[in-house]
Parts: sequence; structure tokens; C-alpha cells
Amino acid sequence: MDDFLVIDHVSKTFGTQRAVDSVSLNVVKGEAFSLLGPSGCGKTTLLRMIAGFERPDSGRILVNGQDITALPPEQRPVNTVFQNYALFPHLSVWENVAFGLRMSRRPREEIRSGVDRMLELVRLSEHARKRPAQLSGGQRQRVAIARALVNRPQVLLLDEPLAALDLKLRQHMLMELNTIHEQVGTTFIYVTHDQGEAMSLSSRIAVMNAGRVEQVDSPAHLYETPRTSFVASFIGDANFFTGTAVEFQHEGYVRVFVDGLGSPLVLSNGTVASNQPLRLMVRPEKISLTLARPSSGERVNAFRGVVEDRAYFGTHTRYRIRAGEHSILAQLQRSRFSGGDIDPARGAEVWMSFHPDEGRVVRLEAAS
Amino acid sequence: MSTASRTSRQWLLTLPSLTWLAVFFVIPAILVILTAFRPADLQGGVGPGWTLDTLHELNDPAYLPILWRTFSLSAATTLICLVLGLPVAFQMARAGQRLRQVLLLLVIIPFLSNFLIRIFAWKSLLHPEGPLTKLLISLQLIPENAVLLHHSGTVLLVLVYTQLPFAILPLYAAAEKFDLGLLDAARDLGAGPWRAFAKVFVPGVRRGLISAAVMVFVCCLGQYVIPQMVGGASDEMLGSKIAQRVFSDRNLPHASALAGGLMLAVLVPMLIVALWQQFGRKEES
Amino acid sequence: MKRSWLPGFITLGVILFLFAPLVVLVVNSFNASRFGGEWEGFTWMWYEKLWAAGEIWESLWITLKIAISASLATMVLGTLAAYALHRFRSGLQNVHHMLITLPLVMPDILMGMSLLALFVLTGVETGLLTIWIAHVTFCLSFVTMVVLGRLQDFDLTLLDAARDLGATQAQAVKKVLLPLLLPGVLAGGLLAFTLSIDDYVITFFVSGPGTTTLPLRVASMMKTSRSLPVINALSTLLIASTFLVAVCSHRLQRRA
Repeated sequence: MDDFLVIDHVSKTFGTQRAVDSVSLNVVKGEAFSLLGPSGCGKTTLLRMIAGFERPDSGRILVNGQDITALPPEQRPVNTVFQNYALFPHLSVWENVAFGLRMSRRPREEIRSGVDRMLELVRLSEHARKRPAQLSGGQRQRVAIARALVNRPQVLLLDEPLAALDLKLRQHMLMELNTIHEQVGTTFIYVTHDQGEAMSLSSRIAVMNAGRVEQVDSPAHLYETPRTSFVASFIGDANFFTGTAVEFQHEGYVRVFVDGLGSPLVLSNGTVASNQPLRLMVRPEKISLTLARPSSGERVNAFRGVVEDRAYFGTHTRYRIRAGEHSILAQLQRSRFSGGDIDPARGAEVWMSFHPDEGRVVRLEAAS
Repeated sequence: MSTASRTSRQWLLTLPSLTWLAVFFVIPAILVILTAFRPADLQGGVGPGWTLDTLHELNDPAYLPILWRTFSLSAATTLICLVLGLPVAFQMARAGQRLRQVLLLLVIIPFLSNFLIRIFAWKSLLHPEGPLTKLLISLQLIPENAVLLHHSGTVLLVLVYTQLPFAILPLYAAAEKFDLGLLDAARDLGAGPWRAFAKVFVPGVRRGLISAAVMVFVCCLGQYVIPQMVGGASDEMLGSKIAQRVFSDRNLPHASALAGGLMLAVLVPMLIVALWQQFGRKEES
Repeated sequence: MKRSWLPGFITLGVILFLFAPLVVLVVNSFNASRFGGEWEGFTWMWYEKLWAAGEIWESLWITLKIAISASLATMVLGTLAAYALHRFRSGLQNVHHMLITLPLVMPDILMGMSLLALFVLTGVETGLLTIWIAHVTFCLSFVTMVVLGRLQDFDLTLLDAARDLGATQAQAVKKVLLPLLLPGVLAGGLLAFTLSIDDYVITFFVSGPGTTTLPLRVASMMKTSRSLPVINALSTLLIASTFLVAVCSHRLQRRA
């Protein structure tokens, strides 16, 4: 794997606040990569350092082997699609797209063909003469992408590219962005706070929290095997239980004592010491609901509870189930009712169960 | 961008206007106050040495009625301008986009029109041979020989006339940002239109109210052209005395002492309001 | 809910109050009657007298020279000041902001008085230069405020975007900031121009021999009743040009 964009122990402090804390990342050439995290996690600062609007206090940033840490933004082989697009209101769509080529003093003919080709790619050729104010949100978004891509950047940064669009348009642009990425093959780096966006746009995601990277993985790995409770709760819904490891089994399984629930058997997800307090995570849709105790023996974790709340969502139904001290969220697909699962009403007594492979031990914090 | 280059860029951008204002605004203001302590020379300039004589001369009970007139006329003008300006600002804010632009233009035109011309317009309107006097006499609203000019009432009228746009513009700026839906909410909760206006709109535009009041009051305090042109001999304001000391008596220290006093009277309340607003802003954010 | 008619009624009254004297003045400039008490027939006489009054045109020329040079100077100074105020947050800018706003609330007579004190004490002869300095000083704050208002609508990330697309700092200012700021700067310049032409009080303090600006000329004409109708004619022309300037600057400020 050749590392194309390398972020090497980059830190940035504003006043007393450590916005980015010794972050290291490697992005592969042509990859679509996301920086995901809540607002204030440092993802935007990191993006601004890659673009050149902020200078890191320490650490290096390399693109294709070239150290760009000290370069001003205009000299970097990097272009940005800004959150609110930052289209120049006094220039037409065509002139907006031509801006970068004009700045680098390309020949007139090259500018013309480059801009035309790019407007075609984003399907805006017939709007070339319009001003940004005359365009819809989705069209502005595409102008912003064209304006950045026409310069053939080695890395394209996209800052919350879908945040300014409404829900319907967002889903459409999601597909469109994937198509554009496939067509141009440039390295895309998304910054987003929306896990759904990150998962459907990128092949790998770096989940950030409080200036640090918690985990870098493919969307599926982040969802299935989150390493920290932050990652588990930020991506998808999760039930958490605090307990202690009481018994280690072969192939990485561990039995965890959880007060009030007994001792479920789960995947240990790395090294766990005996009698160490730890956190255990189960996704709501991994929990089965049955009337009788499931009979698969040792390899099923089952508990009794009472349904406190039930909410129907069309594609699925969610239940809040009380088991002693614990309030557990379960979610059933409609189709699963046929496979032995039941659809209990409020107040019904049910058995909840999950397979050991679906329960995971997560760390409380990122490794330091 | 490094901090050092940022700082030097900031200074580079700030220095031209800062220097200009320091040399032609701050230093002159300080000089005025200092000049009050210098003796006068006969050519209308300033003599050598320092003296407290001017201040002693100012300790004259003859100034008291002038001070009182200056203050009361300014206060009355401010009050009338606010009372008239508030409903106008409200009307502008609730009008449709087109009407609003027209009204704004209608307020701005007299605001930009020549100050002397506006006074002159009243002077000829109120002239004994002028149209208003003749009209009122023919309607038998005033006696044959009534004189409309050269009253303290005339001074107040023209003060209000010249200052009204200065009151409306900041009030409108505040009213434009005011969420008129709040008035509907107040009505919905049982307030009558008057109470809704007084309890919701007026507090909602209080910042514009303060700047309008300060603007008008301070401008009035320094007036001398209006009392000179439409007022009588007994309508002199503090500004009249300052102008008289400079141009008739050619006594710069004396004029400076009066101007210095007025300056302190203007700046001290200004600073208090500025600090209060800054404090208020912090509280809100 | 029924909307009260009272605010609309007061607004109408206020507009009438603001315009009635001006309208009477304009009408009387065509009135053969000397005092305008009664309509004595239409005439161009006062305009002919105005045309023949050479000293008025001389004053207008002086006034225009000062107004144009003062508004050009304040457009540059005010734009720099507004940019600094908008771009930076610091103690320096707090002081800067206070210095910019204070002249707005300083009574004219005090500004005239203090500039006069400066010129007398430093031995500077009063004349065109001192009037120009005074005008730049009191226009600066207004221009800065107008440009600052325009800047507040300006999205600073546009400058980042320009840099990102390969523009240097200077290019970003030239290609993006200035074109977008220009309407605001022009509107500020127009305001300065109007204020400069209009000023009587401050100019009166710092004028010298041979620098009788138009307002100073009007003031001295107002003392003799013989020339009153000529002032009507002159005022009509001035009001008309004010109207034009107001409409222009209004358009400029509204243009997005």
C-alpha cells in the first residue's frame, strides 16, 4: 500500500484548547477517506491544515512524498470544496470554475476546454453563464466540485459537502459524489459529522474525538468491531453494559459478569485482563425477542425483561426493555417476525438473546 | 499565517485611519481643553503662559439660563423625535419590501439635504410675508400681527425638523431586525395593541432607541446655527456662545473653555452608554 | 388580527412634515413673488439671477474640489479601516473602533472648534487644505461604517477559496474582495461627497480668506433679504442633486 497523503504526528492548539492532538493518518492514492466526528472534534482544523489555512504547531503533512507543511494554500496540490461552497457571487459559473486555471496562468485554450469538460462532468454546461445566486443548492454544490477538480488536485478536500442540502437532495448527491469519485479517481477526503454520509461515501473512515483519532477502519469494521465505546455509540446505536471479565475461553471469547444480567459470553476484541472493569456493547438489531428461553444452550446469552416502550418505524420496530437496573434497546426488522421472533406489546414479558459473536468488549477511551 | 506577519499586517491596515484620527481628532480635542488654561491674545490667538482666569470668568450666573435652555431644548427635541420616530420605524419595518424602500428613501433625502437649506426653508415658510403666516392669518388662527419667527418655539420646531431623520434611521435599523411575530404572540397572549407596542416592541428596539436618543441629544447640545437663524435674542444656546467667543470676541481660550465643558458633558455619558452596551452584548452572547 | 392604522397615519404626517418646507421652497423658486406669500405667476427670473451670480459658481467650484478630494481620501482610509475592524479582533481594534465611532456623536461645533484650536496653535494657515483635512476627518467615520456594513455580509471563506484555487493573498484581495466590496465603497464615497458639500458648521471654523464654500456663501446670502429668492432657486438645484445621489447610493447599497 503506497501512502499518498501522510499526516505525521500533527498537533494544533488554539489558546489553551488542543484542537488536534498528535494525529497520524495515511491515505492511499485514489481512496475516498472520511474524517468523522462530532463538532469540535478537530476534524475541520485537520482539514484546514491539509488545505493550508492553518499551520500545525508540530508534525508534518506530505502529499505524494512532498512535504507541504510550510506551503501556503495557493501552492499546495490540494483543492477544497467548502462547506457553504464559497462560490464567488460576482462571477458566473463558468468564471468560477475557470478561476483556478487563470490563477496558474494556463493558456486560454486549455482553460476553455478544461472548464467546458468539467462543467459537462457535473452536468452544468447549460448553466455556465448564470451567477451562483441563480442556482439551486445541488447545482451550487456541483459548481464547487467542478471548480476544485478542474485544477487536477492530487487531493480533493470536501468539508461537510452535503450539510447545506435538504434530505432528498442529500441522498441524490451522495450517489453523485460516488460517481464523480469513480470517474476522476482523485483522492477524496471528506469531513463530516454524519456517520451515514461517511459510511456511504468512503472506503475508510477515521473517527475523531476531542482532537484524537479513535479508530481508522472500513465502514463495516467500524460498525461490527468498534474498538472504543465512543466509536460504538457514534456509529449506529448501541447498548452498553459495564462489567468485569471472569472467564477466558478459546478463540478470543470472554465471559463478562454484568450485575443484574448474569455472565454473558462475548468476543473480547483484543487483550482483556481478568477482573478488570470493562464495557460490553450489543447493537439493538442483534438482539432477538422470544416468548420462551431460546434453547441453543451455552452459546446464547439470554435475559428476561419487560417491554416498556414500543415504537413502529415502518421498516423496523424498536423496543425499550427493562431488565432489573438495565434499560435495553432492541430493534427488529419486520421480516424477522417470521423467523421465531415475536412482536411483543407494551408490558409484555419477553426473553432477549444475542449470539456471543454479536457482543463486543470496547475500551472506555482511545489508546494513548 | 504566522502570528508575527498577522500582527504586522493588522498594524499596517489600522495605522492610516488610526493616525489620522489621533492627529485630527484626539489631539485637537485635548488641545481645546488645554487652551482653556491659556491667556488670550488680541489677534484672536493664544498668548504665552498658563492661567486660570478664563475659568473664573465662566463662573458667571449669566451662563445658567443658557445652560438650562440648551439642556431643556435638547431634551425636548430628543423626546419629540423619539415619540414621532418610533411609530415611523415600526411602520417601515412592517411595510412590504417595496414600500419600505420608498419610505427609507423618503427619510434619507431630507437627511442628506443641505442643513442650511432646511433651516432656510422654515425661515421663509415662517416669514411674516411667507405662505404659512398668511395662511394662518386668513384662517384667523393667529392675529394679524403675529410673528412666527424668533420664538423659542420656533427653535424647537426647527430642531425637531432637522434631527428627526437622525432619530428615525437608527430606530428603523433596530426595528428591521425585530421579529414582528413577537407582537402577534403578545396579542395572542391577551395584550392590547398599545400594550404589545409598549411592552414588546419598544423594549425590542431599545438599542436603536438609545443610539437615536444619544445622536439627537448630542447634536442638539452643540447647535448654534438654528437659534441664530430662527431664534430670537433670548434663545441663545451654549453653541451660540462658543461661536460668539470665536468669531465676534475672538477669544479662543474662552471659547475653548466652553467647548471643553461641552465636550466633557458629551463624552462622559457617551462612554457610560458605550460601556453599558458592551456589557449588555457580553451578557447576551 | 386588525392592524392599527395609527403608525401609518403618523408616518404619513412625518413624511409631510419633512417634505412640506422643501416643496414650498421648490415651488417658490418659480414664484414671481419675492417672499412667496402668494402665487404671483411663474418665472425663471430667480434662476437667471442665480446663473448670473458668478460668486456662487466660484463657491460651487471650491466646494466640489474639496468634496471630490475628501471623498476619494476617505474611500481609501475608510476601506482600510473597515477591513481592519472586520478582520481582526484585538485590543487595538477596540480602540480603533472607539475612535471611529466617537466623531459620529461629536457635535459639529466641537469638531470645528477643536480643529481650529489645532490649526491656530500649530500656526497652520486656514484655507483649502484645512477644510479638506476637516472634511476627511468627519467623513471618515461615515465611510468606514458603510463599508463595514458591506463587509459584514462578505463571506471571509471566499478569500480562503481564492487562496485554495491558487491565488496569492494580493490576488485574492484584488480578484474577490475588492469587486465585491466596490458597491459599498462607492456608496460610502457618495455619502462622504454629500456630507462634504453639505457641511457648514465645521467649514465655518476652519475656512480662511478665499475659501468661501457654497454653504458659507448661502449663509451670508441669507442675511440679506434681496437674495432670498435666488437661494430658493439654488436650493431647488441642490435638493434635486441630493435626490439623485440618494437614489444612486441606495441602489449601490442594495445591490447584492
